[in-house]
Amino acid sequence: MLASLQVEFRKLNRSLAAVLAVIAPTLIAIFLFFMLLRDKNPKDWGEWMSTAAGIWAFFMLPMSVTALTALVAHMEHGPKSWDHLRALPIPRWRHYAAKAVSVLTVIALMSIAVPVMAWAAVSLGLMIRPDLEPIGPFEIGRYAGLAGQMYLSGLLLTAIQLWTALRFSSFVPALGIGIGGTFFSVVATSAKQGVFFPWQMPVNMLATEAWRVSTALGLGCGLGLVVLILAVAHLSRREVL
Amino acid sequence: MPPTIETQGLTRRFGRHLAVDAVSMTVPERAVYGFLGRNGAGKTTTLKMLLGLIHPSGGTARICGVDVVRDRRAAARNIGSLLEAHGFYVNLTGRENLDLTRTLLGVAATEVDRVLEVVEMQENARRRVSDYSLGMRQRLGLARSMLGAPPLLILDEPTNGLDPDGIVDMRRFLKQLPDRTGATVLLSSHLLGELEQTASHIGILSEGRLVLEGELSRLKAALTPEIEIGTDDAPRAAALIAARGVEAIASDGRVIVRIKPGEDARAEAGQLNRMLNEASVAVFAIGARPRTLEGIYRKVAGPGPLTRQPETV
Repeated sequence: MLASLQVEFRKLNRSLAAVLAVIAPTLIAIFLFFMLLRDKNPKDWGEWMSTAAGIWAFFMLPMSVTALTALVAHMEHGPKSWDHLRALPIPRWRHYAAKAVSVLTVIALMSIAVPVMAWAAVSLGLMIRPDLEPIGPFEIGRYAGLAGQMYLSGLLLTAIQLWTALRFSSFVPALGIGIGGTFFSVVATSAKQGVFFPWQMPVNMLATEAWRVSTALGLGCGLGLVVLILAVAHLSRREVL
Repeated sequence: MPPTIETQGLTRRFGRHLAVDAVSMTVPERAVYGFLGRNGAGKTTTLKMLLGLIHPSGGTARICGVDVVRDRRAAARNIGSLLEAHGFYVNLTGRENLDLTRTLLGVAATEVDRVLEVVEMQENARRRVSDYSLGMRQRLGLARSMLGAPPLLILDEPTNGLDPDGIVDMRRFLKQLPDRTGATVLLSSHLLGELEQTASHIGILSEGRLVLEGELSRLKAALTPEIEIGTDDAPRAAALIAARGVEAIASDGRVIVRIKPGEDARAEAGQLNRMLNEASVAVFAIGARPRTLEGIYRKVAGPGPLTRQPETV
C-alpha cells in the first residue's frame, strides 16, 4: 500500500491538481488582503478568520473538491491508464484507496493553508495599513479546530465527488454534481434541511446551534468514510471496458 | 513446461454480441505470436481477458500454467503489456513514468536503466512525456512492459499511428525482443506486412473465432503454389490454361494459376509460357507468386478491408 501511496503523490508532481491546491487558498488570501486595504475600522482576528473560513466552507471547498477530484481522476482517464494499472499484479483496491488517501491529504493541506494564508494576507495588509491592526488575540487552536471540523464534515461530499470522478471518464458527471451541489448549498443557505445536504455540511460548522454542528460533523465524517469504502470496493470490482 | 499462453474455449459476450467465440490458442515459449484480424475481430477483447482486465463469459486462459481467472495476480506477474493507449502521465518525464510502474511492481531501481537501454531511450528519458513523439511513447511503453523481465509480453497494435521511421524502429525492436529478453511475445496487429516480418507464429481471428493458428513458415509452405502471368489478353489466356485442367483466374490484366501441390512452379511456368506464345497470347511477365501471409489470411478470412502495411523502405 505504501508503494501505491508513494506513486499517487509522485503523480501530482507538476500536475494541474497541485496547481489548484495552491491557487484555491491563495485566492481567499488575496480577497482578504484587498478587503483589509479598503476597510475603515479595525476588526478582531476572529472576524478575519471567520470570513476566510466562511468563503472556504461555502464555496471554495466544494468547488475545489469538485475540480481536484476531477483532475486527479483525469490523470488516469485522460491517457487511459486504468488498463495499465489494473493489469499489474497488485490488488486493484490499492490503486483506488491510494487515490482516495492522496485526495484527502491534499484537501487537508488546503484546509490548513486557508487559515495560515489568511493570517499571512492580513499581516501583509497591515504593512500597508498599520492603523487596521486586528483587535484581540489570535486564537490559533480555535481556527485550527474549525478548519479540522470543516475538513471532516466535508468527507461525504469528497467521497461522492471522488467516486463520481473515478467512475466516469468524462468530466461532465463529476462537474455537474459538484456545481449543482454547490449551487443548491448557496441558494438554500438558510434551509434547516441543509444540515443533511453533503455540500452544506462544512458550512454548518460555522452555525451557532450545537446540534447543527454535531449532526453535520457526524454525518459528514461517518457517512463519508462509509461512502469511501463503498467507492473503493465498487471501483476495484467493476470491469473497465 | 506448459505453453506460455493456452486458452480453451475462451468466450466473451457483450449482451447479445459474441465478441470472442470459443478461442483455443496456444502460444509456445519464446515465440513471436502474431495475432491477426480486422478491426473489431475480437483481438483486443481476447488480450484484455488474458490480462485479467475483463472476465471471460466461458472457457479458460492460462499464462505460464496459471489460470487467469482463478489467480489473476499470479498470472499477471508473468506479463508485461503495451496496450493501445499508452497511459503515460504527460506531466512527468519518461524515467519518472517508468519509475512509477517499477515502484508498484517492487523491482530494483536498476531495472529502469536496463529497459531504457533495451529501447535505446536513455538520452530522452529525462524529457517530459508531453514532449515525446508517438514513436518515442511506443518505445517507452515497450520499455515499461519489460520492467521486471516478465516471460510474456502482450503488445496491442504497437505500430499503430507510427510514421514510417517509427514503424521501422518498432519492427527492429520487436524482432530483437525474444533474443534480447528471452520473452515470448504476443503481438496483436491488423498490419499483414508487419506481422509477416516479425512473427514466428500466427493466429488469425475472424468475427471472434480463431480460424487459423500455426507456425508461419509451415502455414506458408502449405499454401497452394500459384503462378502469376501478366498478359495482354487475360480472359483468353485463362481459358486456354483452364482447358489444360488447371485452375486459372483472370483479373486486372493478370492470370493467377493454381498448380497442384508438389508440382514444380518454375517448370510449369515455362510450359505455360510456351503454350501461350504458341497461341499468340503476349506474355510480358510470368513467375511463381510468393507465398505470403496475405495469401494465408485471404484464404481463411476472405476478402476484406484488412490494412496492408504502408511501404516504408
